[in-house]
Amino acid sequence: MTNKPRRISRRSVLAGLAGGASIMALPGGIRTAGASNPFKMGTFFSLSGPASLFGPTQTACNALAVDEINAAGGILGRTVQIVAGDGGAPPAEAAKTAVRMMLRDKVDVIVGSHDSAVRQAIVGALKGRIPYVYTPLYEGGECAPNTYVPADTPQQQVRPSINAMHDSFGTKKIYLIGNGYVWPQQTNALAKRYIAEFGGSVVGEEYAPLGPGNKFDDAVTRIKNANPDLVLITLVGGDNVNFNRTFAGFGLDKNIKRLSLLLEELTLQGIGPKNGNGLFSCMSYFSAVDTPANKAFKARYAKKFGEKAPPLSMIGVDAYSGTNCAASLINKAGSTDAKAVMAASEGLQYKTATGTGTMTNRHVAKDMFLAEAKGAEFKIIKSFGKIGHGEKCSV
Amino acid sequence: MAWLAANLAFITAILVVLPQIVGDFWAFTLALFLLYAVACLGLGLSWGQAGLLSLGQGFFLGFSAYTSGLILIGFSTSAWLFPLLGLSVVAPGLIAYLFGCMIFHGRTQNTAFFAIITLALILLAAQIATAWESVTGGYNGLRNIPGLPGFSELEDAYTLSAVALGLSMMFAAWIMQTPLGVLWRALSQDERRVAFLGFNHNQLKSVAFGLSGLFGGIAGTLYAPQNSLVTPDLFGFLLSTSFVVWVAIGGRNTLYGPVLGAIGIGLATNTLRESVSFWEVILAVIFIVAVLYFRKGLTGTAEPAVKRWFERNDRVRKPAPARHSAMTFDRIAIENLNLSVGNVGILEDLDLNIGSPGIYCLIGPNGAGKTTIFNAMTGELEAQSGTVSMLGTRGIKMDARTQTIAGLGRKFQVPSVFDQLTVGENLAIALWSGRSSRRDLLRLSLLDWESPVLTELERRFPFLTDRRQMVGSLSHGQRQVLDLAMVLCTEPRLILLDEPCAGLSLAETNEVISTVRWAVDRFQATAMIIEHDMAMVRELADHVFVVHNGSMLFEGSVAEVQSNAAVQAVYTGGTK
Amino acid sequence: MDPVLIANGLNISFEIVTLALVAMGLAVTLGLLGVLNLAHGEFVMIGAFCAFFVQEQGLSYLWAFPLVVIVCIVIGWPVERTIIRALYSRPFDTILATWGLSLLLREIVEFFFGPGFNSVDQPVSGTVNIFGADYPLYQLLVMLIAVVLIGALVAWYVKSSTGRRIQALVDNPDLAKSVGIPTIALARNTFIFGLCLAGIAGVLLAPIVAVYPGMGIDHVLKSFFVLVVGGLGNVVGLVVGSGVIGGAESIVAAILDRTAGYTFVLIVALLFLWKKPGGLVSR
Repeated sequence: MTNKPRRISRRSVLAGLAGGASIMALPGGIRTAGASNPFKMGTFFSLSGPASLFGPTQTACNALAVDEINAAGGILGRTVQIVAGDGGAPPAEAAKTAVRMMLRDKVDVIVGSHDSAVRQAIVGALKGRIPYVYTPLYEGGECAPNTYVPADTPQQQVRPSINAMHDSFGTKKIYLIGNGYVWPQQTNALAKRYIAEFGGSVVGEEYAPLGPGNKFDDAVTRIKNANPDLVLITLVGGDNVNFNRTFAGFGLDKNIKRLSLLLEELTLQGIGPKNGNGLFSCMSYFSAVDTPANKAFKARYAKKFGEKAPPLSMIGVDAYSGTNCAASLINKAGSTDAKAVMAASEGLQYKTATGTGTMTNRHVAKDMFLAEAKGAEFKIIKSFGKIGHGEKCSV
Repeated sequence: MAWLAANLAFITAILVVLPQIVGDFWAFTLALFLLYAVACLGLGLSWGQAGLLSLGQGFFLGFSAYTSGLILIGFSTSAWLFPLLGLSVVAPGLIAYLFGCMIFHGRTQNTAFFAIITLALILLAAQIATAWESVTGGYNGLRNIPGLPGFSELEDAYTLSAVALGLSMMFAAWIMQTPLGVLWRALSQDERRVAFLGFNHNQLKSVAFGLSGLFGGIAGTLYAPQNSLVTPDLFGFLLSTSFVVWVAIGGRNTLYGPVLGAIGIGLATNTLRESVSFWEVILAVIFIVAVLYFRKGLTGTAEPAVKRWFERNDRVRKPAPARHSAMTFDRIAIENLNLSVGNVGILEDLDLNIGSPGIYCLIGPNGAGKTTIFNAMTGELEAQSGTVSMLGTRGIKMDARTQTIAGLGRKFQVPSVFDQLTVGENLAIALWSGRSSRRDLLRLSLLDWESPVLTELERRFPFLTDRRQMVGSLSHGQRQVLDLAMVLCTEPRLILLDEPCAGLSLAETNEVISTVRWAVDRFQATAMIIEHDMAMVRELADHVFVVHNGSMLFEGSVAEVQSNAAVQAVYTGGTK
Repeated sequence: MDPVLIANGLNISFEIVTLALVAMGLAVTLGLLGVLNLAHGEFVMIGAFCAFFVQEQGLSYLWAFPLVVIVCIVIGWPVERTIIRALYSRPFDTILATWGLSLLLREIVEFFFGPGFNSVDQPVSGTVNIFGADYPLYQLLVMLIAVVLIGALVAWYVKSSTGRRIQALVDNPDLAKSVGIPTIALARNTFIFGLCLAGIAGVLLAPIVAVYPGMGIDHVLKSFFVLVVGGLGNVVGLVVGSGVIGGAESIVAAILDRTAGYTFVLIVALLFLWKKPGGLVSR
């Protein structure tokens, strides 16, 4: 990642993919044998709506994973072919698209990176009839049949990071701020438990409405008065940017640490290099992760997309890992039969951008990292190794 | 009824054939957009018919989707399930109606403000739906909503939506034809005139908005079981504005426009945004072009807005009932009237008394305050002090509607006729004034009403018999005459005419003069006429009031006025 | 004085002043021309992107001001000519057309700058101590500039001949035309002026907020409510409306939280639309 933001729209990526698709549609002689009976993968990435800034990365990472899977023999020996849907559509429309994918396009598996409302709509539409892999970090608790969630769960994000902050900086008094919806609330509920475990205290908790852009001057003033050691931030998108800019603008960054749980490279770009002092994030992927696996991943990514590569970010790279997860899952099961896939999921090992993930209870134990914002980039402070997900879905 | 039947057959055929053409999976997708079409049909009624642009149509869809979802979750096995679901259909309609009564109460609303108020409404609803997690499920929504018992298969989704849309379209087709529909279209062109014809314009608007809510309720109640998930997205700015875009492109004034817009554009967006890179840009451009150059939308040019009743040749005209109120003369007394706008005084201590029926002309130089006297009498402008007694009241303020019902007929200086309606519809509205009950407004037979007065007017002005003629295509003189005819059709006992002959030919002027004279005699009415043309005043006036600088300068017979020195001074010295 | 009180006072003032700043352009186009410009927020967004562009080129932040004026003229002129002018007498259609325009502008900016978040550095950084409360220097400057701008707008509107001509145009368009006021040019210039005000608000806010193509809607919604509460009559209404909306929101937000504050604002706006549709300061 360079400091300079790249100007890529999802259009160019879509155009690139369309080119790829047309190559795949060449006359029979050129096609590989497997292409005659492709393995169809439905995708729901954020092509529109507020999360559309992640769309290009999601689409690109998915395309890279599909290339690699096909090079390695495809899924069940068949070439993978993408049927794209819009995860940024309203839930009802996404559900209709899912049904169409399932019944008309006869997709074999669906991979999605989008919000929880759309996930529920898709789960409701599929009713477990085809495997569905949901990739972005979320609040936990999705145990619908034939649904697999290689996402970061609150337990994976909160527990190690809050303890590490306590160990490194002695942060005991903690202020919670988030958007008023389910992910921040669930995450904070867990956080309170872990804070109590090491004898810390919650000195404030507040939620800002999701939807309109919020100003945070008054919240920052309250935080200043509460005088915490650490602010645990579960604000998302523009609110996360606005809050952190205001926080630094009021000069609170000098004395108070911040830990944001949905802070990846694209959001950090909005917060700006001068406002990231004492700002931490904990997720399963940062572009800065220094493992051989990630270096190789980044090299392959750069080779495929070159100059115009959409910037790598957790929400996006999860589509790479999720696509691999889906492929490994079905290859291991040997079919797309729901029972077989459910059974195969337990103990599944698959390739992620930074190493491997291990699936149990249809969630994934994975390597987690604590990173600190340094200018426009992250610096990995600590690798936690494999962290359990804490979910209890039956198989 | 033949037209309604033809529509019924057409709509049914399309809805039955459609899934055969597009295939089952598209039919399932279509099921959602048929529901959106129902909501858009409601928007078409409130916006295309009554002129109320709502940026919050999603509110009603969302509201009943939540109530329907909660009912299905809580009472799915109860015998009360269907009655309760019926409530969830009706509730948004009632809410919209009451909301309308609140908002429209007693004033003419700025158009932009209505749009903003509906916007505030959905934003608030979205906020509540997200925050009130224990009931609504919060941001992730209300989930695992069971299907309607007996309709839980995929194919049933289409069937239910199609039946709902078919019935809704039939209802809309009918209501657009009724006198109520005619009044809505009149209202969207000139609200003040509708009030001056004795109709409760605020209530008419509330009913239109209420029905748009009801259509949202139908769509929402079916939305919940079909999608098994209801999220705050339904209260999103995006969905409601999409409805507006679809209706605008499809054609807001027509029956088929909102439906075609919702299904066509909605479905295209659903599929094309995944494959066509610049779909949003294309849509935005289409939308802007449609607003600028195709105001009637795609269907507007092909389909007449509403199949007009008067195009039928076989209609049998029925006599209109007598007006509700008794027609007796009442004296007019204006005392010490002072009225100023801003810091400009217009009327100063004006007195005016009329003790017997007849024709009274008001003359005076430009800016003397003649029209302001009318405005003060009809409550258009509020006087700072003084009293007006007329029509059986003594200094009590009445609004235009009440005054019209009590026997007032006012013709404005600029002809206030409804250009987008036919001559027949314009005259019919006037005939309904004071003679129709609220329920009558739903009877198609009202469109056949005639009255002896109308027959006489048609005899005097033969162009009035071409009832299918669009008023917009009439000449200025004909519009003036039509306006006067509408006033006279209400059979008023107090007639206020503001330069009724301006812009008329000599022949027309003579006919108008004789008609006014005839009407005053027939109704035993009092006519107050603002007139500049002294030749006309001589012809018409029983008595003349000369107004100057906001006060009564002189009154008397025509001869007395003409010989009065003060009046002569004003007319020769005061004006150039 | 209690520093907490000072801090809260400053926060409330900032909320009010920035609201007025953003609503100013809308007050000009809606109040003077009757054009409810739903693309107003997009011009705020364009202003913010001007600040970002200038920073990207390594130029001083101040260059964003002339740039945004040029950009607003370049966009506003053809927009007024092709879209707005035809619709002055059709207020509903203006709402629709400007909604289409807002979609278009968002897509265009996204095409050039991508859909993601960008950041603009504060031209002056650090905090100042005001009676014991630390307050960001830049936000203090924004408040001062906004107050000066609003003051200038009042003075211009009341004193200058253009202001008087616009007043004449507003009071009686036909009369204005007949006494030789060039209504077409005046309306066009007024519209572009409103856009420039939106753009300048965007430039001023860019160093504080998230800069991305969808940011317009965040800033424009409350502006509508400001005008509804304040009334469209004059600039005083703008200040009063901002005071009521901004004050109500930040006071409730300070006592409870943001969610309560926002909900309260919507309820206040609805109550005003119901009970006092002309606003507090009528024409």
